Amino acid sequence: MNCEVAHERIVLGAYGELTDEQAHELERHLASCPECSHERQQVRALQSLAAAHPVAEPDANLIARSRLRLEEALDAVPPKRWYERLGESIAKGVAGLQAAPVAAILLLIIGAGAGTLGGYEFAQGRLAHVVAHRPPAQPPDSQPVDSAPAEIANISSIVREPNSELIEVRYNQIVPQRIEGSLHDPAIRQLLMLATENASSAGVRDNSVGLLAEECRAGHGCKGEGFRDVLMTSLRYDKNGGVRAKALEGLQPYVSEDMRVRDAVLEAVLYDSDPRIRTAAISILEPVEADTSVRQVLSSVANTDHNPHIRNASREVLGRAPVIQ
Amino acid sequence: MDGPERVQERQQTRAPEAELIREAQAGSRAAFDALVRQYEQQVLRLALHLTGSEHDAEDIYQEAFLKAFRYIGNFRFECSFYTWIYRIVTNLCLDQLRRKKTRREDQSVVVDHSGDEIDVLASVSDNRSFSNPGKELDRKMLGERIQAALNKLTPRERMVFELKHYQGLRLRTIGEMLNTTEETAKNTLFRATKKLRSQLAGLR
Repeated sequence: MNCEVAHERIVLGAYGELTDEQAHELERHLASCPECSHERQQVRALQSLAAAHPVAEPDANLIARSRLRLEEALDAVPPKRWYERLGESIAKGVAGLQAAPVAAILLLIIGAGAGTLGGYEFAQGRLAHVVAHRPPAQPPDSQPVDSAPAEIANISSIVREPNSELIEVRYNQIVPQRIEGSLHDPAIRQLLMLATENASSAGVRDNSVGLLAEECRAGHGCKGEGFRDVLMTSLRYDKNGGVRAKALEGLQPYVSEDMRVRDAVLEAVLYDSDPRIRTAAISILEPVEADTSVRQVLSSVANTDHNPHIRNASREVLGRAPVIQ
Repeated sequence: MDGPERVQERQQTRAPEAELIREAQAGSRAAFDALVRQYEQQVLRLALHLTGSEHDAEDIYQEAFLKAFRYIGNFRFECSFYTWIYRIVTNLCLDQLRRKKTRREDQSVVVDHSGDEIDVLASVSDNRSFSNPGKELDRKMLGERIQAALNKLTPRERMVFELKHYQGLRLRTIGEMLNTTEETAKNTLFRATKKLRSQLAGLR
């Protein structure tokens, strides 16, 4: 070992960085080299001298002050959004991946994003009206938006706090619900009435109008709950003939007692596009065929309607009228 | 010093620490606060000794943990969290030392904590024999001269000497923290001790 290497090892030895073998070699060299022994004394002297500038433990006040300042700064850091966390997790895994899988993942993410956005647009268009009638699930103010965009019905407000990066977005979500109960359950009855107007499927409207019509014929709920109004609306405006036919059946018991029902049925006689419904409406009018308004309508139809079956049906009813009277 | 007790303590806390790190990566502020509690004392001790200023130490603490909070998602368990957080702190300290060094250029007069001026070069080049430093200078004065000599080192030499002599870290760990090899850290330590000896020659 030469003195140059020994000088280096003296420093390392003073700080416990030598292996046992290196330390042994150094000791042997030092035993025979007074210059290097002197060097070691100098290094040891430096070590003891450096101790005059000791490491002080930070005092409690400094720690508390620093901690408080840090907490304030951390509070001001806006929480990471879901896509930032997603980006981080992708970045974490990206190092171990080759280019092709990365591209595939990116395409997948873009596809999923486009799909959910499309779903959101579709849901917003079709269900905005329904949401207006249902209590929306309002999330807490500070809850991050971590659900799929397709579940969001609409954005009600966006406010940016002055001089800050914080943005408050208020939005409504559609939460699918399911309810079970008998026909006497007020909630079920309410939903059935809603379904007659709002359901996009003719099958759902047909089911709801059919159930309400049955209730009306059975004499339940057609007095004050609005079933009758719902059925009259369906008879007048529903696009589906089957639904209108069921509404007409439900209204039958009330033709004689309710002028509004009578008018709705007369309108059906005059204007309904389906001849079967018009025929059915004429037959329903039998209890009130002597009324002036009914007779006028029946006469008009009997004389001028282009459909011979309708004309015949009207004439038959008009012909029976004096007998009934 | 990085004694066996501290190493053992670190090993014992490693498992829950990994959990804390994962929770902090998932966005848990409480987990991050717990990590801060584990390292804040060491961070402040290092920054305080290196900069000699409570104000600077506080700034380094603040910046280091804010950085850690921002980038904890990038921590991949490839090194220990202890090394990772120290890497952030040492980088900030090096920046601070560089800034201070620029300000100190052509300035041999250093102001001590109480505002008194110490002419470092004059005191170090003084040929009086300090056979008994305790007798000739009070300990405070000696400490200040040591600090002045340390300030003469390059920021990197200062950092390696600090981490080895005062913080008691292994040279391998120091190399990891400073993004260099153990061999380079060894050479830097050797250079630092040589410079210090020449700076403090008159005080022995």
